[in-house]
Amino acid sequence: MFFWKTWKTLKANGVMGINRRNADYVLKYNQRHLYPVVDDKILTKERAIAAGIHVPEMYGVIETEKDIDRFEKIVAPYRDFVIKPAQGAGGDGIMVIGDRFEGRYKTVGGKIVTEEEIGHHISSILSGLYSLGGHRDRVLIEYRVKPDPIFKSISYEGVPDIRIIVLMGYPVMAMLRLPTRQSGGKANLHQGAIGVGVDLTTGITLKGTWLNNKISKHPDTTNAVDGVQLPDWDGFMRLATSCFELSGLGYIGVDLVLDQDQGPLILELNARPGLNIQIANDAGLTHRCHAVERRIAELAKDGKVESAEERMAFSQKHFGSPIPAATEELETNEQASS
Amino acid sequence: MHSINLHLKILIAILVSLGLLITGYQIYFLEIPVTEDETDDIWSLDARLEFQAVQGVPVKAQMFIPPLNQDYTSLNESFISNNYGVSIGQVDGNRRVTWSARRANGPQTLYYRLVLTKRYSPDEVEAPPPAPRVPIVLEGPEQVAADALVDPIRQHSADIETFIAEAIRRVNDTTDDNVRLLMGSGDTVLDKARVIDILLSNARIPLELVRTIRLESTPNQEPELWLRSHNGDRWLYFHPETGQQGIPDNRMVWWTGQAPMFNLEGGRQGRVSVTITNSEMNALRLAQMSSDNGTSALLEYSLYGLPLHAQQVYRVMIMIPVGVLVILILRNLIGIQTLGTFTPVLISLAFRETQVGWGIALFTLITALGLSLRSYLEHLKLQMLPRLSIVLTFVVLVIAGISLFSHKLGIERALSVSLFPMVILTMTIERLSINWEERGGGHSFKVALGTIIAATLAHLLMTVPPLAYFVFTFPAILLVLVGFMLAMGRYRGYRLTELMRFKALTKQG
Repeated sequence: MFFWKTWKTLKANGVMGINRRNADYVLKYNQRHLYPVVDDKILTKERAIAAGIHVPEMYGVIETEKDIDRFEKIVAPYRDFVIKPAQGAGGDGIMVIGDRFEGRYKTVGGKIVTEEEIGHHISSILSGLYSLGGHRDRVLIEYRVKPDPIFKSISYEGVPDIRIIVLMGYPVMAMLRLPTRQSGGKANLHQGAIGVGVDLTTGITLKGTWLNNKISKHPDTTNAVDGVQLPDWDGFMRLATSCFELSGLGYIGVDLVLDQDQGPLILELNARPGLNIQIANDAGLTHRCHAVERRIAELAKDGKVESAEERMAFSQKHFGSPIPAATEELETNEQASS
Repeated sequence: MHSINLHLKILIAILVSLGLLITGYQIYFLEIPVTEDETDDIWSLDARLEFQAVQGVPVKAQMFIPPLNQDYTSLNESFISNNYGVSIGQVDGNRRVTWSARRANGPQTLYYRLVLTKRYSPDEVEAPPPAPRVPIVLEGPEQVAADALVDPIRQHSADIETFIAEAIRRVNDTTDDNVRLLMGSGDTVLDKARVIDILLSNARIPLELVRTIRLESTPNQEPELWLRSHNGDRWLYFHPETGQQGIPDNRMVWWTGQAPMFNLEGGRQGRVSVTITNSEMNALRLAQMSSDNGTSALLEYSLYGLPLHAQQVYRVMIMIPVGVLVILILRNLIGIQTLGTFTPVLISLAFRETQVGWGIALFTLITALGLSLRSYLEHLKLQMLPRLSIVLTFVVLVIAGISLFSHKLGIERALSVSLFPMVILTMTIERLSINWEERGGGHSFKVALGTIIAATLAHLLMTVPPLAYFVFTFPAILLVLVGFMLAMGRYRGYRLTELMRFKALTKQG
């Protein structure tokens, strides 16, 4: 009986399950031949640069074991940088070098590593240790994002990032991901980072989720995570919205960061974004997605396609919190009357 | 999207109904038993012919035996006789065995045995209708008596069927003078049959005498006389004394005609006794036996038609979709996490060799040892391929070690581990270890537990003997499984574990 009751409540709240996400959104809107664009961060970056979208600057790419020798040359002009597997998943295999120290390197965690150790790390990335499916991989060396100081009070080490789910170019839900001591400075929820919902209209943070529970304070800094105004929120929304044209994928999670010098940057795209964002926002994705699908169907009837700005405006108008249920109702009424 | 859904529904409907139809056809028309231990009645008919041989004269004993083209399938027919030559011939539509010997002495016993079953009977072959007949010529008073009987019978009947029934009733009326005249001195069944024959011949109605036997466990059964006639359409059976119409289902014809059951040359005091015994036999073995006899080819196009060793392989293989279905349900409906998609199925196949208990113990032991080796190798910073090779070799060594150790201890069961797929174990160790590093020990423990649970459930289901038999015998049922899998492909409800995961969203505020 418990199951049935929970089931009905979740359904009424429009909470999306994995099966629905896969069947109705990922399989329906994401064509497989476009996956490489998001699965390979180097490809994503090249596309983004071509489209004039802001991304962290790429310092170099290492493709073969022999190229590892070039590492020294690539990073020579920089004191800090990030080493990433091009096809890594879930933030694994990323090494962030924060400084140089007596001919060696120092990670942001404070660990001293030698060039040889970095070489080994690059080698294991190349052999496919961190890639989806264990394929051979490429190594990306890029600009290290310096998080905006606004996050200092509600974040522990690492770089907080912002995940925005975009359906057919319409942002439907957003979440700020804050690293914790437990997540080891990483911004991945399953590793123990906090997800904090973000109001799409204003860019003000809501309450959060930590390990599938609702929370309102950061466990390390004990500061409240809600009520924080994210700077340049429209910039974030604009970047996320434009990712639809960039990738061609209809249902994506866009990961963005806020650099203290360069403003919002796109980190990566995800073709199968997780569902915990719903707990962070205390709202279900299904109602919002249905609203977008109805909008597209309406526009298609009139033979119109909305521009990125118009799409962004639609999302900001309808998907502000805390009225997701009301939005759904409103939409239904509009439909009925029209 | 709508058209895809319709397409899918039609496809599911087609597959499911096709699977059910084929299976139904196999069960109801080919009569393939639904469970392995279904049994069937088997009748064995023993006829024993005893006589005293006359010294110095060649012996020739002839006996009628039942035709094989009846309602029953004969599984086996044998003639047991020492020093006699045996030949079977057709006489007037009957089968007759002839035993012959140049010389014999003293009491002789000859056996005939026929084993029958009702199932898998081929289509009955009707005996051909008899030729139109001429009236049996009678002399003076007998002809008058016959005419006196036939006339009222004809008046009281409408067709052949009622004519015969009426004739039988009249002949059994012993107070009738005409009947008594025709019967003469005797009043046995045979005499009555003879009189009925006379009467019917006068009306030009064909009649045959048939001897029948009742399929019921009885010692010393006397073949019973029945009459049959043909109305141009089918044979009608009558009991000559009671007038009962239609032969009971459990009676079968032994021979037709006036002749006695056996005749003997060079012997005397001949006596035949028929004993019928009933036994039960496994229906499937029965099917195979009857197909050996060539009377039934129903298993020819099933997997039973394969050579035995190939059958063994298919018995395992055909159950894999069932195991996959278990994984599908566990992952997509319940939401248990497993290592890889089909790794649990492969592990459950490995359990076949080792039994579940041992399998789990060995799997856990080897994986734990492998994981500790793998975490040690992690410090050495090796590349993937060499590292995997080392783990694989280590797994082989551990398996060999376990086998040797358990053999010395006298536990032969663990020897079967040698077939435990090493590659599966190696990949399991590698994946678990990566999982451990990336998601932490708790998560990888959860995944490993999920894998073992899934493998065990899949194994248990795949080895349920009635189910294994059913799927192997009716492979079309797999089409129904495909239908279910197709439906699962568009299942959009929550997984059970998601109800726990999103529980926070059910609370308001």
